[in-house]
Amino acid sequence: MDETPFQIDTRGEFSFPENHKFDAGFGLTEATIDYICDAKGEPDWVRQFRKDALKKFNEMPMPTHWAPEGIKDLDFDKIRYYLSHGTMPYKDWDEVPDDVKRTFERLGVPEQERAFLAGVDAQYDSETAYNNMREELSKQGVIFVNSTEGLRDYEHIFRPWFGKVIPVSDNKFSALNHAAFSGGSFIYVPKGVKVAQPLQAYFRINSESMGQFERTLIIADEGAELMYMEGCTAPKYDSATLHSGVVELVALKGAKIQYVTVQNWATNVYNLVIQRGLAMEDAEIRWIDCNIGSGLTMKYPAVVLQGRRARGEVVSISLAHSGQLQDTGARMIHAAPETTSNIVAKSISIGEGRASYRGEVNVLKGMKGCKNNTECDALLINPASRTDTYPAVTVNGNASAVQHEASVSQVDEEMLFYMQQRGLTRAQAMSLAVNGFINDLVKEFPMEYSVELRRLIDLEMEDSIG
Amino acid sequence: MDFPQNMSMEEAFALAEAEAKLKQALTESKARFANAVVPNRLNEDWRFGRPHKNAVALAELLQSGTPSQGEAEVSNAGEAAVIITADDDDLRQTEMLMPTIGSDALLGMHLERFGDGYALYIEEDTKEPITISYKTDSLYTPSTFIMVAPGVKAHVIEQYYGCEQGTIFATRNIQVAEGAELKVEMQPYGCARCMVITNIQNMGGKVAHYSHFFACDWAREETVAEIYTPGADVQLFSANNLQLHQVLDQHTRQIHHAGGATSNLLYKNVVDDDATAIFAGNIYVAPGAHQTDAYQTNRNMLLSEKATVHSLPGLEILADKVRCSHGSASAPMDEEQLFYLLSRGIPHDEALALVSHGFLQDVVDKFERS
Repeated sequence: MDETPFQIDTRGEFSFPENHKFDAGFGLTEATIDYICDAKGEPDWVRQFRKDALKKFNEMPMPTHWAPEGIKDLDFDKIRYYLSHGTMPYKDWDEVPDDVKRTFERLGVPEQERAFLAGVDAQYDSETAYNNMREELSKQGVIFVNSTEGLRDYEHIFRPWFGKVIPVSDNKFSALNHAAFSGGSFIYVPKGVKVAQPLQAYFRINSESMGQFERTLIIADEGAELMYMEGCTAPKYDSATLHSGVVELVALKGAKIQYVTVQNWATNVYNLVIQRGLAMEDAEIRWIDCNIGSGLTMKYPAVVLQGRRARGEVVSISLAHSGQLQDTGARMIHAAPETTSNIVAKSISIGEGRASYRGEVNVLKGMKGCKNNTECDALLINPASRTDTYPAVTVNGNASAVQHEASVSQVDEEMLFYMQQRGLTRAQAMSLAVNGFINDLVKEFPMEYSVELRRLIDLEMEDSIG
Repeated sequence: MDFPQNMSMEEAFALAEAEAKLKQALTESKARFANAVVPNRLNEDWRFGRPHKNAVALAELLQSGTPSQGEAEVSNAGEAAVIITADDDDLRQTEMLMPTIGSDALLGMHLERFGDGYALYIEEDTKEPITISYKTDSLYTPSTFIMVAPGVKAHVIEQYYGCEQGTIFATRNIQVAEGAELKVEMQPYGCARCMVITNIQNMGGKVAHYSHFFACDWAREETVAEIYTPGADVQLFSANNLQLHQVLDQHTRQIHHAGGATSNLLYKNVVDDDATAIFAGNIYVAPGAHQTDAYQTNRNMLLSEKATVHSLPGLEILADKVRCSHGSASAPMDEEQLFYLLSRGIPHDEALALVSHGFLQDVVDKFERS
């Protein structure tokens, strides 16, 4: 309890005795990197790349301007940088705690996936359930592999874009990820291919699971379209306390990428993720982001609008409980004329939770006809809840229009009274009101996610309001 | 400590306690200035404000030994105005306790030069606006104190003339008592450099504050409005027309220590040529300051390709049952408005001037109605 700055919320937390085949030990040194490279069988250029990144990581200072207080307690020497289960120890479903089972039950997680999420299976049997989908994908020429395979087997495709959208020296955590990355997905969609079903990280065979330093690179070639989903609404326990991912998206001319994240880590986790997309001419990138878990989240999905008429969008929901700080937001860099972007962020603070929106919209010099619209709404549930909004908007020149609106409110007492009068309990009324607040955003999520999200909010409300 | 005669024990204790608090605050404040560094790139409150250039230049001038020189005049004040001297310890202490927005080091340098300016103790309604004007062609560091007694209605205009070459670095302390109403205008003209740090303390009255920077090459406004009592109201207005290479760096805080009060901000800028406008505002609602209504609006009209606007509105809400919002919009002139005037035979330049004038006049109207 004393080791983390956060108040530990035990709902949905559970762990098993660990038995890892590969364990690089505590701290990050050149030896750790050699260990990781040997374990994964990586080519020499990747080894060198990681070591260069490690040097940068050691040189760079911690973020100062945007970092909340909690980040100071992060001790890089107390973190294990590489764990891999050769074969996951088999655990019986009966050993999973009752309250976790209850959560799964309430969320309506399918039986197969439950076992995976609870750590009972190393990965659930995707062979049978998703075999057809995989065949379909490979017929279309879609490459969907993990980061190790991507750099080893498809170097000519992934290497040119690897670390280009988010360079090593972008910030300290980017350097950290470049040095220690494992897990994540590398996806290439060929020209003109429109992937019909959403791709999901935990559907992939032989996945390394969602690693703590996951690395994702998605390239959509000209005119291609895809939707990618990661994470899940069910609580996910991880023994790793630092989760620092890097997600790079490249949408070439006319391509469309939608990236959906739902994050519900346990509250002992620092969730520091860098997500950035590069949108070329006529391309579109949408980040759909939902943060429910972790003690401290710092995540600002970004789109660099690099080609004419490119479009970027961020849709973000965050829910902050007591002991949680959700520091989320969005960045839009208008680096080409006639580019448009839209940001819609909604946050809910419960108990002593704190939700912050931080954003940057920048229309660079000489860019004409750029448009941005930003809306941030915050809902406060209890008297001790906290919310902040810190946008930064920069406009150069007289040919672009940018607008930002933010509001803070709480659930109307009259509304609650009305619903209670008609026989709802206070918790039910509250949950209906909160669901109403985020209703238009929840619609943006794929069907199964939005159903789960709604149920999750019901659950959270029941626990927070007696 | 000498207690006045006829004082009850409770009153004496309260006075002693207040004195002790003040003493502690002053000790803390000394540490604040001792530890402060001249604003640099790491100072978040100077984001986009080029501190390595502007703050450093001002600090160098203040430390160069150039004497503070200027003329101060006051009119329509009657007996309310008092000239400040260097040995006025009460006022010096007030200035020591002033909050800044990232410029403690600069305030420390201002304190070293303390002893210029006017204090207004307004105890009767003003018929004509009290006008204070400060004028310099070198360096001038006046302090202004405005104290409005309970139930009194006052109107004050402060003018700062920089005569093109002059640098003005001013501090302003405004205290408004319960039921008092104050309208105050702050208007710097033609300064090479102008920095104004303002602290408004509202104890249950109404304050309408209007700032207008005209033809200043570089100007920075730091305005902290603090509300201590339910029922208090603060309105902050600013309208500026920026041209050439002018830079205007405006920072505001609306701090609600107590609930049941209102504050509102409307800052509008027209930005032409190579000019830059920076606005960074924040509404802070302290824990327990429930039933707060606070709003903040920043609007910018960009007239040229090289004009730049940075807008950083902010909210920090630690209380419940509040209504707070902020809005920021930056856009070119509405083509339809321009077209309307052109189609009625008004020349392009005049039409442009009319539309931008109308855009800013809205602020002046709202200030006058408030």
